[in-house]
Amino acid sequence: MRVIRVIAATTFREALRDRILYLFLGFAIALLASSKLFGILTVGDQAKIIKDMGLAGIQLFSMLIAVMMSVLLISREIDSRTVYYILAKPVRRWQFLLGKYAGLLAVVAVNLALMTAALLLFVWVYGGGVDARLLLATAMIGVEMAVLVAFATLFSVVTKPILGSVFTLAVFVVGHVSEDLWLLTRHLPGSVGRALATGLYYVVPNLERFNFKTEAVHQLAIPAAAVGWALLYGLGFTALALVLACLRFARRDLQ
Amino acid sequence: MTEVELRVHELRKTFHPGLLEPSVEVLKGLSLEVARGEIFGFLGPNGAGKTTTIKAIVGLVIPDAGEITIAGHPHDSLEAKRRIGFMAENPYLYTHLSGREYLRFSAELLGIPPPEVADRIAAVLAQVTMTASADRKMRTYSKGMLQRIALAQALLGEPELLILDEPMSGLDPIGRRDVRDLILGQQERGTTVFFSSHIIPDVETICDRVATVIDGAVRGVGAVRDLLAREVERYELTFTGADPARLATPLVASRVGSDAAWARVEAGHRDALIRELADAGARLVSLVPVRSTLEDLVVAQVEGRSGS
Repeated sequence: MRVIRVIAATTFREALRDRILYLFLGFAIALLASSKLFGILTVGDQAKIIKDMGLAGIQLFSMLIAVMMSVLLISREIDSRTVYYILAKPVRRWQFLLGKYAGLLAVVAVNLALMTAALLLFVWVYGGGVDARLLLATAMIGVEMAVLVAFATLFSVVTKPILGSVFTLAVFVVGHVSEDLWLLTRHLPGSVGRALATGLYYVVPNLERFNFKTEAVHQLAIPAAAVGWALLYGLGFTALALVLACLRFARRDLQ
Repeated sequence: MTEVELRVHELRKTFHPGLLEPSVEVLKGLSLEVARGEIFGFLGPNGAGKTTTIKAIVGLVIPDAGEITIAGHPHDSLEAKRRIGFMAENPYLYTHLSGREYLRFSAELLGIPPPEVADRIAAVLAQVTMTASADRKMRTYSKGMLQRIALAQALLGEPELLILDEPMSGLDPIGRRDVRDLILGQQERGTTVFFSSHIIPDVETICDRVATVIDGAVRGVGAVRDLLAREVERYELTFTGADPARLATPLVASRVGSDAAWARVEAGHRDALIRELADAGARLVSLVPVRSTLEDLVVAQVEGRSGS
């Protein structure tokens, strides 16, 4: 654990040095601007609109951090060969990878916490009620990001940084249309297309399982079982992606 | 019996760059043994397989076949890695950190007990003469300074086996002297040093033994003096009372000076020349064997002229 913690802490510091937390400022400004704009354009409950926009913004900005930083920070370590001096020490390759993952997750979590705090402040200012569902919805975005960062970690050890970012982005997009993909498998005429859509459905995690935004905005009931299954589902895909990443990295030549 | 610190046996590695590019067989059954406490030089031209061998030893490259042990432990085990200090050919460091911060990070990875970390860092910084610049960000360092910090991180764990890939490259003469002194100092405290270098005079000066690697395999290994002793190819003679131009023995080169004449002959013609000089009534002033340098040896091996 010591080695993982040390690598995670260094990764976290490196992300801060890259001014990644500025993305949080971007989020706050975007939220402020959109709340003003929608306040003028709509006659409905402004706090609800802010919640809706805020949660979507949190998801978007978290995804941007996960996609950009994960692939960048791990690939940079390999490409710039700073990994040489780490792996020549009594450090297992899987410890290095899990350390990077933990550090990146910490970066995403801190950003998520800051953005959530900003959202709560905005909701409070505009007279909306702040309840646990809003916190749960953002926490589940965190779980979604844990899955996404795990996939980014996998892609960063099997391909080049740009392709890794594209693949991670593809997981995010396909993961959110996963249920449509399942419907598509029933209506596609060709067997090849159907096999492809079915394959994608099973390989790419269904990220909509972590989506509790509607319930949070409209204050609907959230079944505990749905949250529990989503957590298990997220844990399963995260573990799978990380195990595959570790297995691949264990056999990779560092030249 | 001499204890073996590093054993590399029948190491093989082929790289497969891509579908459209041909595979490259870099290591072709490379074997060597380094005794505990010795300074072992690893020589060879570019592309011979030196860096790949070193990367395989420290676990950065996965060999296709062969065995590597460090003090009897498999090279990729934590027991083996705890015994290694490694410095790569180029200093791959986090340049956004200061030298001291980077060494602290290295100390944490090495598992050095926290109360000892500050003293240990101060000691290695002093060894590489970087104490004064230790708190500057490394992006402001020169290449030589980065090389010194890279060396400091290799020394930090007080390794049994120091593995250095081209430690003198990019250093000025003072830096090279410092690294030479440091390697000798490490040997005095019992550390085994295994290093590759293109700078052959440095290898000749400080190595107990050397191995020459050509085309992925070791071509020659032994004490520097033994390797060179085998390579006495010519003799230089100084004499008076005879004109080199009139001698029948084939000469490689000759010159007539104000006091004496000088001639160089192949080793096989040495005795014939001495006899001819005696018959001509000349007086032999000196006879000096011309030993080849390590550089000559490596060049000869590369060109296939010698293979011990």
